[in-house]
Amino acid sequence: MTLAIGGVVLYLALGVIGFLVRPQWICGVLAILAGSVSLALWAPGFPEEALGGGGWGIPVAGDPWALGMWALALVVHGAVLLHERARPGAFHPVLTLLVGSCLAAVVSGDLFNLYVTLELVSLLSFILVGYEGQPRAVWAGLQYLILATVGMTLYLLGVGLVYGKLGTLSLSAIAALGRGLSDPAVAIGAGLLVAGAAIKGGVFLFGLWLPPAHGYAPTGVSVVLSAVVVKTGVVALARLAAAFPVGPILVAIGILTGFGGLVYALWERDLKVFLAFSTVSQLGYILIGLGLGGQALLGAILYAVAHGLFKGLLFLAAGQAIEETGEREIASLVGRLSWPTALGLAVGTWAIAGLPPLAGFAAKGALTADLSPMARAVLGALSVGTAALCARLIPLLRPGPKGTASPGGVTVLIVSLVGFGLWGFLRLPGLLAPGKWAEAVGEALGGYGLYLLLRRVRPPLPRITLDRATVLALLGATALVAGILLLG
Amino acid sequence: MAACALAIALVGLGFWTLIRRRNVIWKLLGLNVAAGGAILFLVAIAHRPGAHPAIVGLGPGPTADPLPHALVLTAIVIHFATLALSLVYVIVLTERRHSQDVHKLEEDR
Repeated sequence: MTLAIGGVVLYLALGVIGFLVRPQWICGVLAILAGSVSLALWAPGFPEEALGGGGWGIPVAGDPWALGMWALALVVHGAVLLHERARPGAFHPVLTLLVGSCLAAVVSGDLFNLYVTLELVSLLSFILVGYEGQPRAVWAGLQYLILATVGMTLYLLGVGLVYGKLGTLSLSAIAALGRGLSDPAVAIGAGLLVAGAAIKGGVFLFGLWLPPAHGYAPTGVSVVLSAVVVKTGVVALARLAAAFPVGPILVAIGILTGFGGLVYALWERDLKVFLAFSTVSQLGYILIGLGLGGQALLGAILYAVAHGLFKGLLFLAAGQAIEETGEREIASLVGRLSWPTALGLAVGTWAIAGLPPLAGFAAKGALTADLSPMARAVLGALSVGTAALCARLIPLLRPGPKGTASPGGVTVLIVSLVGFGLWGFLRLPGLLAPGKWAEAVGEALGGYGLYLLLRRVRPPLPRITLDRATVLALLGATALVAGILLLG
Repeated sequence: MAACALAIALVGLGFWTLIRRRNVIWKLLGLNVAAGGAILFLVAIAHRPGAHPAIVGLGPGPTADPLPHALVLTAIVIHFATLALSLVYVIVLTERRHSQDVHKLEEDR
């Protein structure tokens, strides 16, 4: 535990020192080194211990979630550092602090400590979303902060209710009490906690701040937000699911976010907002796996890491494309990408479609390995939809003129995607079965067919405004609390 | 019990303001009232009948639960930071878009 905490403290300290030294990115490099050393020393995990000792300490655990998220965060930070190294000012120090607080959030096993780290993550991402000062990005950031604060207010109320009834903030102690949700106060508290984490996590109908914030943020920030920051909300949900029996609720939210994000992404014209809606949809896989538990839980962790890698790559390539051409709409980018950018986009698309041999295939294989036919059908439908989204990107893959972007960040992420895929073949059973490959290809072809069918349709989707998003978040929270009360 | 009810009323009032008002500053005020309600709720949770505040040196007898008070301190600092940062963004938006009206800010530009 000391090693992990030392890594976090060093990461945050280097972030602060970064404000003082030139060039600013150097502290980012040192922080990644420190984080990697710390991870290498504490891997493959450590049992839960109380930081500060005794009954009052903050429980810290190095479970598979922490392991996966640490590895993901360090790789993604490295890629972003390579891409954004020329950016001056406070960018790199704030980014280092942001990644450091994500590292802290995922090892925490305490309700209130989670609250503090999640708020820290929100604040720092908020600074970075509006970093370039474009009014659209600033407005997206403000929406993000308002909705995140709504979520965290609900979360704080939940903390109060649960602490008042159970007398502890430690999630493992709550799980050990095994009181379930029979007490209405605890059930309402658990509902508020889950709702708060869902709003923070950007789940569909709860956290509709996500698409504009991820879409309009600067390139490197979008990458970190979609790859790592969203996952802190997911880890919070995973911790809550371990303490309270809320699995069925998470499956329901997962299905909602999977298909809701899909519908919006299918008709979104802005490339980065499109990718952001796809992130909302991809959360569905993770939450369904999380809610089902058992073998699927490992699949959910692997999918969270894989999604971080390929969505990070897609956002990086998309950001490069937008920086190179000055265009944001998918239609006007066709044939204008330089070849490293097009390659990044192609590999990312291949991986997110779940085609072998990349990370998406391995993670999806682990997720669906041990599921009921019903759950498998839902995930299959989601995969077909995801493939239809990928089909929208195919016209972009034809490289155009020579570009100026450096391919460093894209290379790092491509190598990690391939490495993750190979690791999957070595360590996960059953991935080499021809049936799995046929299924993956079939889903991709089905998705392409769906895309051809829907290409001419243009349904009038309701616009998402701040007021609507707030009302939806609160209504969603109410429905969730009601659902958990019924469950208990 | 009364404090709990007041806290929940504050949260409701704050969220109502957040949804109904069109001016961003009003929205942020509403949000802060709601956050204040959540903080008051934690303080109310710490209450024990007949207890005095959890301060060393106030003499014998039962004390209020000190843990929620410690949480409240942290939460207040976080809300302060959030509000300050959001107001900075409102300043930026006011300078660039000359408006604090949500409907105007939401027009694509």
